[in-house]
Amino acid sequence: MVQGLIAAFRKDLLLLLRDRPALIFLTIAPIVVITVAGFSLASLYGSSAQGSTPPVLLLVDEDRGRLAELARERLEKGDEVRIQIVADRGEAASRIRDDDVGAALIFPAGTTAAVAAGRPGQVLLYTDPAKYLQIANVRTLVQELRHELEVASRKKAGEHLAEARDQALAAHAGFESATREFRQKAEEFRAALAAMREEIVDRMTEARKRAADELDEDIASAATKRSTRVRERLTRELAPLKAFLADLSATKRQLEEWQRQVEERVGPVAKALPPPPRLPVLPPSIQSLAAADPEELANRVLGASIKFQTLGRLPRVAVPRVPDFPRLDLPKIPQPPEAKFPGTVEVEETSVTGAPKRLNTFDQNVPGFSVTFLLLGILLGVSLGLLDERDWGTLDRLRTLPMPFTAAIVAKLGSRFVVGMLQMALLFAVGWIAFGVSLGPQPWALALPTAGIVFAGTAFGLVVAAIARTRDSVLPVGSIVIVTMAAIGGCWWPIDLEPDWMRRVALAFPTTWAMSAYNDLMIRRQTVEAALMPTAVLFAYGALYLAVGLVLFRRHLRST
Amino acid sequence: MPFVQYLRAVGARISVEGLRKQYGARTVLDGVTFEVGEGEIVGLLGPNGAGKSTTLSILATLVPPDRGIVFVAGHRLPDRARAARGAIGLVPQRTAVYPTLSASQNLDFFVRAQGLSGGRAREAVDWAAALVGLGERSAEPVERLSSGMRRRLNLACGILHRPPVLLLDEPTVGVDPQSRERIFEAVTSLAAEGASILYSTHDMDEAERLCSRVILLDEGQVVASGTPAELVRGTGMTPVIRLRMSVTLPDGWNPDIFGARVLERSGAELALAVADAAAVPTLLMSVARAGGDVLDLRLHRPNLADVFFQLTGRALRDRGDAGAVAGA
Repeated sequence: MVQGLIAAFRKDLLLLLRDRPALIFLTIAPIVVITVAGFSLASLYGSSAQGSTPPVLLLVDEDRGRLAELARERLEKGDEVRIQIVADRGEAASRIRDDDVGAALIFPAGTTAAVAAGRPGQVLLYTDPAKYLQIANVRTLVQELRHELEVASRKKAGEHLAEARDQALAAHAGFESATREFRQKAEEFRAALAAMREEIVDRMTEARKRAADELDEDIASAATKRSTRVRERLTRELAPLKAFLADLSATKRQLEEWQRQVEERVGPVAKALPPPPRLPVLPPSIQSLAAADPEELANRVLGASIKFQTLGRLPRVAVPRVPDFPRLDLPKIPQPPEAKFPGTVEVEETSVTGAPKRLNTFDQNVPGFSVTFLLLGILLGVSLGLLDERDWGTLDRLRTLPMPFTAAIVAKLGSRFVVGMLQMALLFAVGWIAFGVSLGPQPWALALPTAGIVFAGTAFGLVVAAIARTRDSVLPVGSIVIVTMAAIGGCWWPIDLEPDWMRRVALAFPTTWAMSAYNDLMIRRQTVEAALMPTAVLFAYGALYLAVGLVLFRRHLRST
Repeated sequence: MPFVQYLRAVGARISVEGLRKQYGARTVLDGVTFEVGEGEIVGLLGPNGAGKSTTLSILATLVPPDRGIVFVAGHRLPDRARAARGAIGLVPQRTAVYPTLSASQNLDFFVRAQGLSGGRAREAVDWAAALVGLGERSAEPVERLSSGMRRRLNLACGILHRPPVLLLDEPTVGVDPQSRERIFEAVTSLAAEGASILYSTHDMDEAERLCSRVILLDEGQVVASGTPAELVRGTGMTPVIRLRMSVTLPDGWNPDIFGARVLERSGAELALAVADAAAVPTLLMSVARAGGDVLDLRLHRPNLADVFFQLTGRALRDRGDAGAVAGA
């Protein structure tokens, strides 16, 4: 049976390879449709498709100011529109009326000046509302532009304010620094003055002491000189006295000697002799005076060791204290306030799913139309292939083979499955290479929903082959079903455009699950986990279709 | 089913008894009974709608019978249809091959689908291709082949596995004489190798030439069966000579030949029944004597079509030559 299965599988592949129209339908046709649809609907998603020409936006710069210049730079940087400069708003209106372009952006004179002066600036948007999508995108773009310009202006003003504040802060810091420095210098000066005063005091004390010492020395010298002179004078003037006294003393001693000799000589009569006359007794003071050392005498006269205390007698000079500087109590200069403009309400759009902000139209069309053509190809391939077998008579021949007829059907479905997988791989590769479609972080994960939708489509082809009794009825039956499934399932446009009830209905179609998985993997850049559930649903649909198809097809065969 | 009858049915390659098939209210087969033995070529004759294809479809396990006992290669249908399929070779009326594939690709597929592989498969393909005379053109896509070559391929695809039971459904429709001969040779060869062949046709010449026995089917019923000669003989029909002359023979002219009688006179044209075709020279002399100048002569021997017409009053083909032969 396996050998028969392989043979049937190979046969069906050969049949397909020999069927050039079918090959074209499977490959060229979807690429052409994807290309045409992609470029045709390029403006639907706001972002230009790769290789497509974005719509023209006329720009009228009556302002000749920075604002229009910024707007032009910004718009030319993006790929949403092509900017064409026209001379005046009249020409712009004319071109819009002539159906040439959809919108014109006009910067009236004075716009930049008004904005710079803090007044509102007005920008005009001329449109042709009939070009709805184009205008909608331009409106969005202009709103974004306006917001960006406002933000840029605010940012610039903020920068200026911040710069001024920085300067003020720097001046404030400089002032405080100068104040601190001044205070420090003043303190240092005051300390220097105090030191100088101390030094003056010291010097004065020293000078006073030195003066006192010098005075004392002079006085002492003068006293010594005087004492000397006094001593000399006393010596000189007491010398006769001393000489008299010495004579007197010598005379006395001689008299006494005489008396002694007289008495000795007179013996006992000496007593009876009358006393010799008495020499006058010298007053002690004269005796002391005569005996006194002239210096001592001088000292006694002049006063001995007179201690001169000149220092205490020198006048004291009070050096005034260094006055305290007045405190430099400068008023506290507050720091300049933070430069704050009234805040703007920013709308921060975050793609929490990982999808880019703007979609490439091919991000939608490549998987969508690939699924559509996949289903059409599989449906026609399976159903017409089975009807071909019937018409050729080979179906009966297959039924008389020893291998189970189901094996032949499975081989046919299997070959179409493989072809479907290859078809999807080719179309995704073309989308990736030619149209820049993202295959997500795990391109291999695309194989899961692809296998699911190919399986479901293949099995559905069997259902159609069983329902449609003739070749003529395959196309209407199949195409109605597939077109409906593709359209509602979000193959041709984002399913979010559909009303809620239709989206609920769409859950009954395998296309919905396939597109859900593709959108998660390719647009939202999610990993394989996102595709597991849709893939399981697709295989469940496929199993259901296969069971129904086999039952119906067997019944169909029995009835013919 | 009685045991003896059962053994007989199992012994025959094809055994059909009391076969009945209905599609809705329309009875397609009603009590059809026949057998085909080993190495036997049995013709199944009947006009369109007689039930030939339905009979073949039942034998080929494509359609289950409503009633009746059917054995193919010892397997009762439809219960043991899968087992029987390995013994069946079906050659459908249409050229049931893949037109976009080449002849060799078709053969290769069908031989592998029959479970053969490797050298056995190649050998079988070569044998079948040689038997039907596909020759050098087996690499060409079928759609480029002539009708005759397609018919040969159609036959080859059905005999790749050398089936003991071969079901041929008008295998020579629309073919050139060369291909027809080649098909005949192949069928004969297969029968000679022991294949039991049920040959459905409404061409009595084919049946008479190939088939050892013929089953005449009409409106789902077997109206007669036997060898062609037996069938013709059984109806008592004789050859008919048709003459066209330059002048009208006199009234009352009689050929005066034993067993001959005038069937029809219309001006200068004359139809006569004769007991034996050997009477033609005598007849011509008799006409000449009567002053007739024979411009055209046609001799029609009774055949299976005549038998069928005789039995059913209807022609085997729409454009049949009913009435060409004289009834007994």
